[in-house]
Amino acid sequence: MEAEVQGQPYKDVYNGMKERNVKNSTDKLTAAHVTIAGAGGLGSNIAIALTRIGVGHLKLIDFDSVELSNLNRQQFKLSQVGMPKVVALKQNLQEFNPFIDIQTAQVEVTHDNVPQLFKSADIICEAFDNPAAKAMLLDAASEFYPNKPLVMGTGMAGVHSSNTITTKHPRPNLYIAGDGTSKGVEGLMAPRVMICAGHEANMITRLILGQTEI
Amino acid sequence: MVTVNGQEENVAGQTVIDFLKQRNAPIENIVVERNGEIVHRSEFDKVTLASGDKVELISFVGGG
Repeated sequence: MEAEVQGQPYKDVYNGMKERNVKNSTDKLTAAHVTIAGAGGLGSNIAIALTRIGVGHLKLIDFDSVELSNLNRQQFKLSQVGMPKVVALKQNLQEFNPFIDIQTAQVEVTHDNVPQLFKSADIICEAFDNPAAKAMLLDAASEFYPNKPLVMGTGMAGVHSSNTITTKHPRPNLYIAGDGTSKGVEGLMAPRVMICAGHEANMITRLILGQTEI
Repeated sequence: MVTVNGQEENVAGQTVIDFLKQRNAPIENIVVERNGEIVHRSEFDKVTLASGDKVELISFVGGG
């Protein structure tokens, strides 16, 4: 652990965080390992939320690079267009909290690489765009890591009511946020995607702190 | 009768893959839970639905 980054000592940064984090949460968050599959609209927002509260070990997985069409909802900058998303996101996260451990993997998640990619995870976060990839990850995670909580998102498109986005707990270790029905072809915009990302990030936070109910 | 997402359907005796093909939904976006267990994709053509089974279809839409 570096003692100081960008002129800010670790101790001061964490004292500031602890002032506003929920009491007695920060040490548990610091010890947690969360692997986020997909660094787009969901994944970039989830990663920022978890970084800000001090989740200590993040692994970011995405095969894609930043495009102009991502910027209406994904937490990248114009200057990052063309960069691998995991590289750009790590760069941004380190500006919020340079003291957490961030691993990156620029690969496509497939059934066969799930055992290796999610081995270190306490909690698996699904943040893909593609519905077949979402289904594949649930299928593979339930096969290889049935005891790891999996937090997913489905249905955050359009400009429907915020209040139709909920978190469901359909089976043990599975949490699914979203409205369940709105499809990406309607258009995907930051406000509603961020609501779903917030649901996923808060469920992950609750799980880290031992709260398994929705 | 098989209970599918809470509704009784006359699909006992069908394999999971045949059952899914009739539903007019993209199979690759669906995860099948049968009696509380996930039926893995590699088993879709091997598992046959039986009367009394409870099936939950977990469907995903695009966007993220």
